[in-house]
Amino acid sequence: MSRGLAHTIVVAVFAALIAWAFSRVNYAWNWAGVWEYRQKFLTGFGVTVGLSLAALVASTLIGMLAAMLLGSKHVLLEAVGRVYVELIRGTPLLVQLLIGFYVVASAVGLDNRYVVGVLVLALFSGAYMAEIFRGGLAAIPQTQRDSARAIGLTPWQSFRLVILPQAVRLVLPAVAGQFVSLIKDSSLLSVIAVSEFTLAAQEVNSFTYSTLESYLPLAAGYLLLTLPLSAVSRLLERRYRYET
Amino acid sequence: MNLDIQYLVQRFGTTTVLDGLELSTGDVRSLVLVGPSGGGKSTLLRILAGLDLPVSGRVAFDGEPLPRDETSLRGYRRTVGTVFQAYNLFPHLTAMQNLLLPLMHVQGMSETAARARVREPLERFQLADQAHKRPAELSGGQKQRIAIMRALVVQPRRLFLDEPTSALDPEMTAEVLEMIGELKDSGTQFVLVTHEMGFARRVADLVAFVGEGRVVAHGPPGEIIDRCTVPRVRGFFERILP
Amino acid sequence: MGRVSDCVSGDRQRLLPADWRTHLPQGMKRTMRLPVLTLVVSLLSALHMLCATATALAAVPLRVGMELSYPPFEMTDPQGRPTGVSVKLAEALGRHLGREVVIENIAFDGLIPALKTGKIDCIVSSMTATPERSRSIAFSDPYLKTGLALLVGSGSPVQSATDLDMPGRRIAVKKGTTGHQFASTTFKRARLLVLDKESAAVLEVVQGKADAFIYDSLSVYQNHKRHPDTTRGLLQPFREETWAVGMRPGDTHLRDDVNAFLKQFRAEGGFESLGDEFLPEEKAAFKAQGIPFYF
Repeated sequence: MSRGLAHTIVVAVFAALIAWAFSRVNYAWNWAGVWEYRQKFLTGFGVTVGLSLAALVASTLIGMLAAMLLGSKHVLLEAVGRVYVELIRGTPLLVQLLIGFYVVASAVGLDNRYVVGVLVLALFSGAYMAEIFRGGLAAIPQTQRDSARAIGLTPWQSFRLVILPQAVRLVLPAVAGQFVSLIKDSSLLSVIAVSEFTLAAQEVNSFTYSTLESYLPLAAGYLLLTLPLSAVSRLLERRYRYET
Repeated sequence: MNLDIQYLVQRFGTTTVLDGLELSTGDVRSLVLVGPSGGGKSTLLRILAGLDLPVSGRVAFDGEPLPRDETSLRGYRRTVGTVFQAYNLFPHLTAMQNLLLPLMHVQGMSETAARARVREPLERFQLADQAHKRPAELSGGQKQRIAIMRALVVQPRRLFLDEPTSALDPEMTAEVLEMIGELKDSGTQFVLVTHEMGFARRVADLVAFVGEGRVVAHGPPGEIIDRCTVPRVRGFFERILP
Repeated sequence: MGRVSDCVSGDRQRLLPADWRTHLPQGMKRTMRLPVLTLVVSLLSALHMLCATATALAAVPLRVGMELSYPPFEMTDPQGRPTGVSVKLAEALGRHLGREVVIENIAFDGLIPALKTGKIDCIVSSMTATPERSRSIAFSDPYLKTGLALLVGSGSPVQSATDLDMPGRRIAVKKGTTGHQFASTTFKRARLLVLDKESAAVLEVVQGKADAFIYDSLSVYQNHKRHPDTTRGLLQPFREETWAVGMRPGDTHLRDDVNAFLKQFRAEGGFESLGDEFLPEEKAAFKAQGIPFYF
């Protein structure tokens, strides 16, 4: 049986189960009401895509920087990295958003909630990225660095030609997972009134009282973003693996 | 090569690994370091290869002392070749790409020139049809031979080999030793750390027994391996030789 | 299980024969007797409790949904128990119906879905009866008249509701409220900031991130009192509203009961005493300013 066929069968069985559960629930469907608000859904979806993209890029950069701090020989630099990672990973994103926007951003005069939202999200995800990158770097055997040095490569050349390619392959699955998490976490930005996808669905729900008809498209929309991401990640993993 | 080492000291943390090691080889082509594990052979080799800086002491090849700062040491490393026990090759590159890397990125050759340079050794050591494979697809022996080749293609002044066959089974050990033997015969200078005493007898111009951070004895292979009178050395060989 | 009356008459004494130990399986070791004894006693106690509860279950409790973050109507006391005008009203309703009242704390915009899916039986949460909501659920007769007012930032140029419908204006609303609905249909040129919580919306106004917060006049008054320097309260309602109890459309029996209760409660002066208990200052202040606020 091909993998594609197997996947399709499992999804079909799952969908049948869900459909059966819904048929038992005696729910009066009202799709017309939600259809009226389709523009709101589309706009919210666009905002989520934009926010996620910006936060993805920013969090990757922050994560790399933090990983370098964590691996630094300087005590102070390592401390900055460690405190950042532990603080961010140890507190809920919701708390970081509220304190970030209503306290910190206000204090420095940064009023744009979209910018603050992306920053907080990037800092949040960056902490997890830092640990992923650090783990990836640590997993490369020391002999690789020795061999690179022995050939006479400069530290930058070693990193670029030897260490980084191997690290990328090692961390790719975890990073893809983190990207997917970030897209879903972006829904939390609704608490600082960022008009993204989830808030749009919540608003439509509060206007039409059609809860399932509002939230099912929401789930579908997120899948539309996360499934291709997972698929591309698996494709890259398969293409660049060097284990046979 | 004429190696002269004076009072070499190396420490890691609070442990002293080389304790004032001294050696004067005279003009030899191949030097083989033998001795017990933890005695300091590999540590010494890494210093000679320019990978680590000693705490104190003087090392000179043919009268030229080794540099004491990292940048100059890197320059020195570019003139020699080093092969470790395992994980030499970069696993994300093919064997060919591994060979081309030092030529293109350290010596600045163009890809065409680099490919021309590696063609001959690949054919000479019968590895031309393995060149497109990644290290994961090669046997242990093939990997080590490619690693040695990679060290050779830059035309180094001398090679440093740290137990190149210790991680291999007997058959692959043989094929790697054969290659090293050929290199000796064609005039390559090298310093080798090994446990293969039979091979040491064959290829060494000079054998140095390194134990407890010092050179306990050194001399022609037969003298050291078979007829050494120093009890420490005698005891070692009696235990390991059949 | 036997009839309820069997349990109540205390037949437990005869459930275990005097020589019950001899009825244990032969060969059961001495060490097993204590665990077996414990197990048997536990099972019997459970059975007894089940019978006792069965008698109390004759009346099904009334599950009332409200969001406990709207003092003084829906709130919690320092011990965390629900209290407030709506809670007292719900308890009085329970007494009238002869049913125990269970308060379910649910976010405001989740109340109607909870009602529709049967998680609660009625909504007593200072909810305005709007035509839109009436398409989904049924409402009782109104029990309170109030209106939408504005909490304005002290630095904002807004002087009335008409000032709101301009580009560049930022209006904070709480998700799912009539303020939210009204603002999104009426103030189309302004930027709407939809927030989960009243406190977040107030914070936006206090920090100058929003020009105004549209909410009911009572809450506007209370919030302005708490932030006298950073806010202004425009208390005259620009839109009048009435609050009612929400129920499922099919529950006509319950609706008739509730309307009868409300009538009786008002006649007995129940609302007056609630007002005196929870809102004496506000009642006086609103009266002095001539703002409608009455049950």
